[in-house]
Amino acid sequence: MKLPAPPTEKSFPSPLHHPRVATVIGRWLAVAVTICFLTGLYSHFTQDTPSWLPIPSRPASLYRVTQGLHVLSGTVAVPLLLAKLWTVYPKLFAKPPWPPSRQALATMLERASILVLVSAMALELLIGFLNTLQWYPWPFPFRQTHYALAWIIVGALLVHLAVKLPLIRANWRRTDEKVPDSLPPAITGLTRRGLFRTVAGAATLVGITSVGQSAPAFGPVAVLAPRKPNIGPQGLPVNRTAEAAGVTGIDENWRFMIMGPQQLFYTLDELRALPQSRSELPIACVEGWSQGARWEGIRIRDLLELSGAPVHSRVRVVSMEKGGFYATSELPPDFAADPLTLLALRLNGGELALDHGFPARIIAPNRPGVLQTKWVHRLEVIA
Amino acid sequence: MKTRIVLAVAGVGVGLWGLWLLLGALELPALIRLPIWLGGAVVADDFILVPLTVGVGWLVTRWSAGPDRHRTVGAVRTTLLYVGITSLIAVPLLLRQGKGVNPTVLPRDYLRDWLLLEAMIILGGAAGYFFTLRRSRASSGDIGGR
Repeated sequence: MKLPAPPTEKSFPSPLHHPRVATVIGRWLAVAVTICFLTGLYSHFTQDTPSWLPIPSRPASLYRVTQGLHVLSGTVAVPLLLAKLWTVYPKLFAKPPWPPSRQALATMLERASILVLVSAMALELLIGFLNTLQWYPWPFPFRQTHYALAWIIVGALLVHLAVKLPLIRANWRRTDEKVPDSLPPAITGLTRRGLFRTVAGAATLVGITSVGQSAPAFGPVAVLAPRKPNIGPQGLPVNRTAEAAGVTGIDENWRFMIMGPQQLFYTLDELRALPQSRSELPIACVEGWSQGARWEGIRIRDLLELSGAPVHSRVRVVSMEKGGFYATSELPPDFAADPLTLLALRLNGGELALDHGFPARIIAPNRPGVLQTKWVHRLEVIA
Repeated sequence: MKTRIVLAVAGVGVGLWGLWLLLGALELPALIRLPIWLGGAVVADDFILVPLTVGVGWLVTRWSAGPDRHRTVGAVRTTLLYVGITSLIAVPLLLRQGKGVNPTVLPRDYLRDWLLLEAMIILGGAAGYFFTLRRSRASSGDIGGR
């Protein structure tokens, strides 16, 4: 028996495997990747702020928008990447260059760069999406890998652009669409414009059915999103429950502590007796979901003044949480001084639920949820 | 040419920076297993998902050669594609349904919602199908109906 011959570049008759199609879909994908990369960098730096980079505390909802865009652009990139791979698929079966020459070497290098680009981007989108489900079935740390792969993708993409630049330039504007002789377009059906519409439609459909985790107006149709913004205690989702954090509540000996120029101790009732302020601020998580909420509590700047520290102080926030990366966080001076930043005691009209950080938590503008430390029992003025 | 050289050099630099970050952040066992996952991602795309699309596209094109079908093939193809892409994204949600780390993760009935979504897409596709069929029949004494 003779095996069928493997496909070659010529085995794919569709005229849509064309550089013009690759250029157009590539542009869309490039927009998604750029948004995803920049918002991802921003998220990385808000969590891991280098000293040379001041992150402002306003606009209050900035992180909500950037991280919502990050997850949205990544999700929408899935259909775009598949469409792009489909368009250039015949290239996968192009004959390897032989015999060895300079040209052959260049071709091999180019193919290697595309292997890096495709593998890194496909894995990046997969682990990014699964992270929004908080599902980590792989044997490497998510955050570091996701961050490093992002740089590798951008690097490989720049190399790819360098290689393809003449082709991209030649196809930047509409080129003649050749209609194949064998099948009239009425039968193959799909013109380039038709393909672009279909792909754009697929990306839009995926976007609309997932953006509702960050834009509550779309919550009811967010059937492809792992979160519904209004589900959870007090109408707010939870990332880390009290049980997962090993926090069970407080007894009558509990004291809230401020370690500044003066050391101050408060019972919960004494905290409640201090002047209370209100903030309307979202919880915006790195997984992309977010939800606005009404918070009541004591301004951090007021607490700093009570302890005799300047309002623009750097403050370490210590949680009762057992271990974990985020048992402590730091409020940079701008965030500590912002009048919206609270040691919150109440949420949406009721006492904080234990899963939302009872008895007290930090809520600050323009911060990722992981830094809105819960179950706070100590503030330390560090500078 | 100059632009291309600048792009290529910048790309290699940025990529090496990413590699450096990776080597610094990951322990050896993770570094050994990462390429397996990267390879798996390529296999999933280039040897499963895209061939599946190519194959279905080929079948649809063959089917569309039948009488009158060129009028409605667009609706069929778009419906299949939308069902495919939304189902692909739904797979992890369906697999993890009920296994969220807490009740606010994956709070929906994803099986029901996925079936509803696909039903809507198919209904929309069917509406498009009958609409184009009627319109092209009404307007065509011609043969091609374009």
